[in-house]
Amino acid sequence: MRISRYLSYFVILIFLLTLPLYTGVYLLNVMDIILLYIALALSWDMLLRSGQISFGVAGLFGVGGYAAVLLNLSTGMNPLISIVVGGLAAGILAWLVGIAVLQLRGMYFAIVTLALAEIFRVIIRNLPDLTGGPEGTILPSAIFAGNSAKTYWLAIAVAVVSVIASEIFRRTRIHFALTSIRNDEIVARSSGINVFKYLVFIFVITSAIQGVTGGAYAHIYGFVSPEGSFSVDFTLLPIAMALLGGMHSTWGPVVGAVLLGAVSELLKLHIPYGHLLVYGLIIVITILFFPQGILGTLGQRRKKSR
Amino acid sequence: MEFRENEILGIIGPNGAGKTTFINVIGGIYLPTHGKIFFNGQEISELPAHRRCKLGIGRTFQLVRPLQGLSLIENVMVGGLFGKGLRQREARKKAEELCEFLDLTDITREITRMTALEVKKMEIAHALAAQPKLLFLDEVMAGLNSDETMQMIALVRKIHSRGIVIGIVEHVMRVIRELTDRVIVLDWGEVIAEGPYEKVSNDPKVITAYLGEEA
Amino acid sequence: MEGCLQRIHKVMALLSKLKQKSYQIAITSVIAAIVLGFWKPHVLVEGIQRACLYAVIALPMALILGIVGIINLAHGEYMMLGAYFAYFLNVYTGMDPLLAIFPAFLAFFLIGIVSYKAIIKYVLGAPELNQLLLTFGLAMVIEQLANLFWTSRPIKLPLKYVSASATIGSFTFGTYEFVYIAAAIIVLAGLLLFLKRTSTGQAALAVGQNPRGAKLVGIHVDRTYLLVFSLSIALVGAIGAIFMTRHSIFPLMGAPFTMKSFCLIAMAGIGNLTGILWCSLILGLAENFVLSFRGYAGWADILFFALIVLVIMARSRQRQVK
Repeated sequence: MRISRYLSYFVILIFLLTLPLYTGVYLLNVMDIILLYIALALSWDMLLRSGQISFGVAGLFGVGGYAAVLLNLSTGMNPLISIVVGGLAAGILAWLVGIAVLQLRGMYFAIVTLALAEIFRVIIRNLPDLTGGPEGTILPSAIFAGNSAKTYWLAIAVAVVSVIASEIFRRTRIHFALTSIRNDEIVARSSGINVFKYLVFIFVITSAIQGVTGGAYAHIYGFVSPEGSFSVDFTLLPIAMALLGGMHSTWGPVVGAVLLGAVSELLKLHIPYGHLLVYGLIIVITILFFPQGILGTLGQRRKKSR
Repeated sequence: MEFRENEILGIIGPNGAGKTTFINVIGGIYLPTHGKIFFNGQEISELPAHRRCKLGIGRTFQLVRPLQGLSLIENVMVGGLFGKGLRQREARKKAEELCEFLDLTDITREITRMTALEVKKMEIAHALAAQPKLLFLDEVMAGLNSDETMQMIALVRKIHSRGIVIGIVEHVMRVIRELTDRVIVLDWGEVIAEGPYEKVSNDPKVITAYLGEEA
Repeated sequence: MEGCLQRIHKVMALLSKLKQKSYQIAITSVIAAIVLGFWKPHVLVEGIQRACLYAVIALPMALILGIVGIINLAHGEYMMLGAYFAYFLNVYTGMDPLLAIFPAFLAFFLIGIVSYKAIIKYVLGAPELNQLLLTFGLAMVIEQLANLFWTSRPIKLPLKYVSASATIGSFTFGTYEFVYIAAAIIVLAGLLLFLKRTSTGQAALAVGQNPRGAKLVGIHVDRTYLLVFSLSIALVGAIGAIFMTRHSIFPLMGAPFTMKSFCLIAMAGIGNLTGILWCSLILGLAENFVLSFRGYAGWADILFFALIVLVIMARSRQRQVK
């Protein structure tokens, strides 16, 4: 049983990896976006499993992007390494914010994260010498000189990393810690779980993933800007994707990302504005009617029919 | 006050006396505003709850909140994983042993379909998984019928036979009478009486605390 | 001789009160205000005016969050709707926006009822997470609908009376903005009276402390939530109308106010309505102070957030519940 499942994963992976051989640039670019959003949606969900909501995904994403681009420009750092360092930068920032704010959690944490993107955006806008100010900074050339197959593989790498992280979070003791903390902190503490330490850890890891994703995005598109890199898209969409697909799971956010990613591409072709409206509606409708998301609701139906 | 080696200590008192708060302070959910707490010679007054758990203080909760999203056996495993730092496989084995010890069957099922007695047993197993040296049972008999209460009493004796010191908060006096070596009575946060059950239950201060003054 | 001793006692008592933190803060604040008044009078006056604006926007959120525990991230968006409501009322009927407060209040009370029944009610029982996510999504929907219908172009009404000003010595300041101070005091007093003197207000307090217990004593919990929530929306809609008179409005204007309101509530403490006024004074003055230095204007926005992080850190140290 297990072998056949891993075999099918393997086949899908091979198919995905060899996609550039039989599809064109447009589809690869769409896949890039979907893959990066998979990483964002998954990392958001991983934090959600601990019971905390972050509205600051765009903030960490943008920080990672800026760090990666600026390091590459100013020190000639290899773009791939700069992406990793971008993730580190986001992680460190998350660590600072986390140790300051995660003592009071829930709503306080959520709303502080809401401010994160704005704060970083303001800081970056006000340091024009360092960051290029409101117009942003353009890279002389995108990573891999814009070779769409290679950028695609980069995006796959980022998505795979996030899937692996999510599975680690699900199969090791981290799963037990997260679920306990989410359910009842007092019970968790009395069971020997250092809640604060775990929360900071999860926040840092998920933020680092978001930073790496931001770095990858920045290098693939070749520029960063206060408005673009911290766009509310990067917070809103991952949330909608994770909720739609089914939270607290690995494949839920993936399904959500694929679905919504495809939908958003279609929308872009037919409706020039109004995307955010759709995503907001999806969030509202999902919370009201299918809080378990697609996978969750299907899973429940399957249980009932047994 | 103190807990002595090998005893089962009853903690009783009228509602609002502070019995659960007492457990919370010893367990580390609240920090004491005055005074100190020592455990096996070590001062723990400032230690956070998770450290106290690792040192060997365990407890159950009055309003049982089983962990949604985990199966029965997984609920039990939590204590072993974090209280004792076991690896998943070991924690699972220990948890299975505990479930057998407490007579819990069908342990891989979801926690949504359990009887009240089973839920309580799972709570206790969860606390036992961390291998406590001192275990607080907070009103474990609440909501059990006569039969189930007998079962639970036997269970507590079994647990005690493993060398665990037990502090049992109860309202059901029969349980206190049968199980405990010694009893302390709390009222408004103070210990107003202490001793074997017979002595304490006849203490006029205790009777006043429960029933009020004679008119 | 006796009188002398008594006077010394009184002074000693006063001085010992200085040890109390609140007195220390109060005295330092008064001194700071006086210094500010001489050094940068603009900052003092405009700071207080702006502070009251923040306060009056935050109070309705404090009502539902602090008293009955509902978090509404779409708070600022309702205010934005109120502003547009007043605008269109003026365009189509010529009604002065200040007068529009009254129809706005009524209209938004109804909107509040609809919002509650259609949407909010369903997540009250669920974990706080759901409220956060739902109202976040709702905020996005309202904001984007506004953007679609009214475009992102800022709109302003040219009203003459808003440029009223007065001069003291060489210092000129706007006098219209004192409306905000009046509004803040009226709303605060009104809410406090509501909570203390009306049965719904008392019910709200009860429900906030213990919804199940409140139900057991016969309080109609759902109706209380409904009324309090609708009151909050009504207030914030009316405040939007006032805001409209003096500032240009645009669909995305609401979000910063939601944030700042939350900051104020977190600073003042959940349930502390009067504290909101004091905290907003501190924040409003600080913000204006930073704004008064050229070149640092961009940083003023972060001030609120930096302060909220500091407050949260201080609070969590206080808590001591490990």
